[in-house]
Amino acid sequence: MLEYQNLFTRVQVRTALDPGLPIDETFGQRYGKGLFSYWAGKFGDAQIGPIYLGFWGILSLVFGFLAFEIIGLNMMKSVGWSPVELVRQLPWLALEPPSPEYGLKILPPLKQGGWYLIAGFFLTFAILSWWIRTYTRARALGMGTHLAWAFGAAIFLYLSFFFQPLLVGSWSEMVPFGLLAHLDWTSAFSIRYGNLYYNPFHALSIVFLYGSVLLFAMHAATILATSRLGGEREIEQITDRGTAAERTALFWRWTMGFNATMESIHRWAWWFASLVGFTGGIGILLTGTVVDNWYLWAVKHGVAPQYPAQNILTTEQLEALRGQYAGRLQNGYPTYTMPASAAMDSTMADSTAIADSTAAAAPTGAN
Amino acid sequence: MRTITRVALAGLVLTATGCQFFASKDRDVVQKGYRGTAMEVNYVARNQEQAMAELAKKMPAILPPAGESPPGPLPWQNVQVLNDISVAEFNRTMIAMATWVAGGPGNCAYCHNLAAFASDTYPDGQAIYTKAVARRMIQMTRNINSEWTEHVGNTGVTCYTCHMGKPLPNGLWFYTDENQILRHYLDGAGARVVSRTITPSAANRSSVKQTEWTYALMITQSQALGVNCTFCHNSRQFASWEQAPPQRVTAYAGIQMLRDVNTNYLAPLAGTYHPSRLGPMGDAPKAQCVTCHNGVYKPLYGFQMAKHYPAVWGTHTDWTTPLPPPFTTPPAPVPMDTVATAVDSAAAAAAGTGVAAPAATVPPPPAGPPVRTP
Repeated sequence: MLEYQNLFTRVQVRTALDPGLPIDETFGQRYGKGLFSYWAGKFGDAQIGPIYLGFWGILSLVFGFLAFEIIGLNMMKSVGWSPVELVRQLPWLALEPPSPEYGLKILPPLKQGGWYLIAGFFLTFAILSWWIRTYTRARALGMGTHLAWAFGAAIFLYLSFFFQPLLVGSWSEMVPFGLLAHLDWTSAFSIRYGNLYYNPFHALSIVFLYGSVLLFAMHAATILATSRLGGEREIEQITDRGTAAERTALFWRWTMGFNATMESIHRWAWWFASLVGFTGGIGILLTGTVVDNWYLWAVKHGVAPQYPAQNILTTEQLEALRGQYAGRLQNGYPTYTMPASAAMDSTMADSTAIADSTAAAAPTGAN
Repeated sequence: MRTITRVALAGLVLTATGCQFFASKDRDVVQKGYRGTAMEVNYVARNQEQAMAELAKKMPAILPPAGESPPGPLPWQNVQVLNDISVAEFNRTMIAMATWVAGGPGNCAYCHNLAAFASDTYPDGQAIYTKAVARRMIQMTRNINSEWTEHVGNTGVTCYTCHMGKPLPNGLWFYTDENQILRHYLDGAGARVVSRTITPSAANRSSVKQTEWTYALMITQSQALGVNCTFCHNSRQFASWEQAPPQRVTAYAGIQMLRDVNTNYLAPLAGTYHPSRLGPMGDAPKAQCVTCHNGVYKPLYGFQMAKHYPAVWGTHTDWTTPLPPPFTTPPAPVPMDTVATAVDSAAAAAAGTGVAAPAATVPPPPAGPPVRTP
């Protein structure tokens, strides 16, 4: 029984390959007869396959592949079709959404975000197909659809990054495809909307995310710690409570005064995990549509503490120091035009013009 | 029991080494804001001292003060700027400028026809563009030191602040796709993206993408000064001026100063430079924060070089200096969104698919280090 005290899987069950239940194979069939893998057995079941793809699985893979190709080829184009540079610069490469000036144009020029929208459409279609697959496969096996709905919560968060730009009115809000690019987007999104940490739904999402991690660790540790007492037979112990269930319950009551049961711990985990995406998505949908500056929202509602000012500036100085918004109109960027002074006749430097334009360029408060 | 003892011992050792690290006398953490808000600046004294020692090694010595000027009328034949200082001070300044910009006190030829110092042309009749540019740069230096004290304080700047002994300072930039954000230092629109109201309004339609451009602009400043965001901002609310350290006001004046310098002094020189000095759009090299700061939040670590040189001070900046006939026609105003196309077509022309690039017909460029952009 010593095997059960190990943190790693020591037992590999090897019998005849299990082909699985008979299913309706009208829309798809199982491929292969399956095989055993020693290394797969180190992490889970040693049997790999047979694989069922079916209509939605194949559709999902095809559209996923198209999205992957469009993103990859665009990245490759950005480094001049050099495979070496593609690998070297991969973390910094990105397929960017259209610029603000295109608003919600259905198909901007391909180079200016058209490819991005096409790739995004294919990726979304692939994800939704995969969701249908999780739903129909669960039904085919006579299971509940808990997994599909938990996956649905994640898809809701994913889709809210599509609906929020739709509500705000600009594709340029969308998340770029790229390793560091999407992280930069996260930072920029937070700054643009006055610090997302003050968004209560962002806070809830983080609570559920970290809570999921904590619950996962607590549950896994509890079951592993009682596996030599039969703790791994947790499902049977839901109704037929054995010594493992008794001891773990007692342990948690001793240490924190309350215990989940062998059944309810899985509901805790399911709700925590699902609510990460669900609350996060609500937070995104409220941002830029209902609230434009979460910090000011938090100040108004007494969430953010006020600290003494760090400098002494008069109201007039503050007004003068505040520059213009980068985007004043929907297509407010780029709006650069060379001012007359920059294009002045350079064969004769007119000193009086310099003195005038210097005075005009400097704000009254800053100079 | 033995395990607990081991863990306790390991914890003790870790704590001790941790304290050692944070209490190191090389590290100086300065609180810059209200307690508990993480408004701190970290100084690593060791690196700073090393960098200052390296700078001191290569920085030219301050020239001895100018002596008596010779009696009699002013000997100038073609002095168009700096004609408000004494003859001795003028000569001292010329020697200093050769060191600051042209690499050595004897390199007069970088800006002068050695056969006739007063001449604006080489013996072959070609215009000395470096001399014309230098005149304009002197006017610019005086303008910075007299009009932009909000940014340069009473430390001021000399040619060396930016040039550091090289003809081309660091961080020069031209119109390209990658440099679009830097046009904030010339003619770009506002960089603000955070709303001042809780609810959305038509006043601020800045998108996340515009926020990223502003972010990129801010990072050029952060890298140019070797500081992090909290040097100028309270990062809980980047837009707030009330909660920002006073340094942000200085930095804002710096942006205004750069717009003045780029708009009125650097960009208009496009027709004066040798074409090899121009960018792909035919525009003159322009400055950004790193050009003067060179990675330090006080250029030259705050060393007050300018106070030793009276020539860089004074409110007299309005000398009328005719520039030589241009090498090229000055470029027409470039709207921001046409840059990409123009750069593409310039590349196509250079590749031989279009008309011959004008750069191919001009004489080879004068010696000088290549343009560096960070």
